[in-house]
Amino acid sequence: MKKLALLGSALLLSLTTAFAAPVEVSLAYPVAVDAPITALLKGWAQDFMAKNPDVKVTLVFAGGYPDVKTAVQTALQGGAKAPTLAVMLATDVYDLVNAKYVDNLDDLVAKAPGGAAFVKDFLPAYMGNSTYKGKLWSLPFQRSAVVLYYNADLLAESKIAPPKTWDELGKAAQALTVDGGKTRWGIEIPTENPYWTFQPLAIGGGKNVFTDDVTVNFNAPEVVDAVQFYNDLSKKYQGTPAGVQVAWGSSTQNFAAGKTAMIVHTTGSLAGILKTAKFKVGVSAVPGKKAGSWASVTGGGNLYLTAGHSAEERQAAFAFAQFLLDPSRVATFSAATGYIPNRTAATATPEYKAWLEKVPQAADAVKALASAGPELATQNVNGVRSLFNKYLQSAFNGAQSPKDALDAAQRDADKALADFK
Amino acid sequence: MGAPRKTKLLPYLLVAPTLLFVLVFTLLPLGEALVGSLFKQRLNIPKFQDPVFFGLGNFADLFGDPDFLQVLANTGLYVVLFVPLSLAAALGLALLVEEKLRGIAWFRLALFHPTVLPLVSAATVWMFFFTPEYGLWNQALHLLGYSGPQNWTGNPALALGSLVLVAFWKNVGFFMLFFLAGLQNLDRSALEAARLDGAGGFRMLRTIVLPLIRRQTVFVTSIAFIGAFQTVDHVFVLTQGGPSGSSSLLLFHLWQVRFERLNVGQGDAVTVLLVAVLLAFTVTNFFWGEHREK
Repeated sequence: MKKLALLGSALLLSLTTAFAAPVEVSLAYPVAVDAPITALLKGWAQDFMAKNPDVKVTLVFAGGYPDVKTAVQTALQGGAKAPTLAVMLATDVYDLVNAKYVDNLDDLVAKAPGGAAFVKDFLPAYMGNSTYKGKLWSLPFQRSAVVLYYNADLLAESKIAPPKTWDELGKAAQALTVDGGKTRWGIEIPTENPYWTFQPLAIGGGKNVFTDDVTVNFNAPEVVDAVQFYNDLSKKYQGTPAGVQVAWGSSTQNFAAGKTAMIVHTTGSLAGILKTAKFKVGVSAVPGKKAGSWASVTGGGNLYLTAGHSAEERQAAFAFAQFLLDPSRVATFSAATGYIPNRTAATATPEYKAWLEKVPQAADAVKALASAGPELATQNVNGVRSLFNKYLQSAFNGAQSPKDALDAAQRDADKALADFK
Repeated sequence: MGAPRKTKLLPYLLVAPTLLFVLVFTLLPLGEALVGSLFKQRLNIPKFQDPVFFGLGNFADLFGDPDFLQVLANTGLYVVLFVPLSLAAALGLALLVEEKLRGIAWFRLALFHPTVLPLVSAATVWMFFFTPEYGLWNQALHLLGYSGPQNWTGNPALALGSLVLVAFWKNVGFFMLFFLAGLQNLDRSALEAARLDGAGGFRMLRTIVLPLIRRQTVFVTSIAFIGAFQTVDHVFVLTQGGPSGSSSLLLFHLWQVRFERLNVGQGDAVTVLLVAVLLAFTVTNFFWGEHREK
């Protein structure tokens, strides 16, 4: 009888295990990037599930970063479950943590095999936005930097060396402009949402636009100087359109079509540009004011674990995150997109070496990271960023002088940050 | 006893699903927004995470904020430009395509087709039209003798106008449809009688056609006005409210306040203002139309 009961229990246990519902993990991903990422992610999700049959991964492709964030917000506030993992802007960390939309990762890192070494391997430049209040909240996922793309063939034809200072950049832009820009501009800097592409100018001028999450340097003399240089590119050098310039997407098209000789853009556009441009593309950090003072700024999205999930879901989600951020996958992802590898170990993989051999510009993009400052990330980041954009555009369009616009930006930003100090 | 009671219940039962829908998706959220607008709640500031009674503070903050005043002015200008222009064009087109000509169905289809295009795709195509150097609109300007490239969505003087232009193109065909339906239901004998009495085209339009299609006009004005106040997709794709807030409209601002800045109380206050304006307009428009009818 006892044996029979034991056998029955064993059978029941094995049946329960066999038919136990898999742990569900979903990943919300902002698909509106110019790269073939969906196919990669779908393949990796399948591979992960093949290795972990007790986990079911669902990919949720949303439009852009704001769409993913809005989806997480509405789900959590409506009392529903948000996608377990979400790729959202690295700079949103303060708002996401303060509003309790995301979950802390420290316990999962501690429990995961090789967890501490895994986290330590991420590039320090990209870890700046991952920690807050001494805790880990996200993992760098698709990280980029702003660089200068130049038409190397055109520069060589015109006997112009790749610019190394502001003055050289202005003069090169001037020399490469044809017919007052109607045929070709020397340089285009997309400034519809200007803070990010402007930051390398400020950093190259000597000061980033912020110091920490509650301190901005909008009206520092170096930042005013950088706005003046942006305006000089059109007024003094006549090498770029005056005022607020082309949309983000149009500038890469203009560059690849030869309608502009240089653009300031993200490394995330590298693969797209190389696919369409029919000339040799050069990549460097953005020249700074003085010789040797190169500048760039980090950007891109991190992988967050959203709030409100069970212990099993959290653990499975972290395992999937580790799987996605395996060095060889990081290198494959970079090669497909142009996003800079976010882990040191990725640079030692055969996939990375093959990419560098095929695309030597990738090494220049990675090199630019050495001179990169952090992207504007403060408390109340959207409020601060939109008021900075407003005044920058006002200065670019000549509605206010650079000093007046940036003094007003500083005043308003201090007000917007007052409640956080 | 039972039969008459059933008869009385039936109308209520018939409207119940709609009523339930309106209650759950309109009245309850509106009530919640009304209450929420009286509280200070900012999800990204730990000390203001729980709602604290703030009276009319959110409204005072809004009206003391130059950015919000600019949003109100932009929205007002957008409505004032969009509604009369699109209504006049829709009526004009309806009068044109009402004629029974060969191939008129294709003409109607051509005018109506922007309505069925998804707005984000349409706005993306328009972004190309607005491109500074080689966009369609700059080519048109060049033909008129203007030499320099013009950044339509980056110029504060043109950004709002660009939004109006896209909305105009997108909606005129839709509005035309209602006028067309009205025109096709007109009593032909009244028109014939007027024509025999020697009334000219403009006089007939003013004294006979317009009064007879008043109901359609009231309806189209209402949906045009409400649609204009709710414009948000074009702003997202074309201008992001810029440059320097010159094309930020009320619903886009609401999204920024509520979802970007996580300011729940102020977001609710903007919602209350938006609904109040729309309600005041719709009720006034309805009663004005009904009054004229009598």
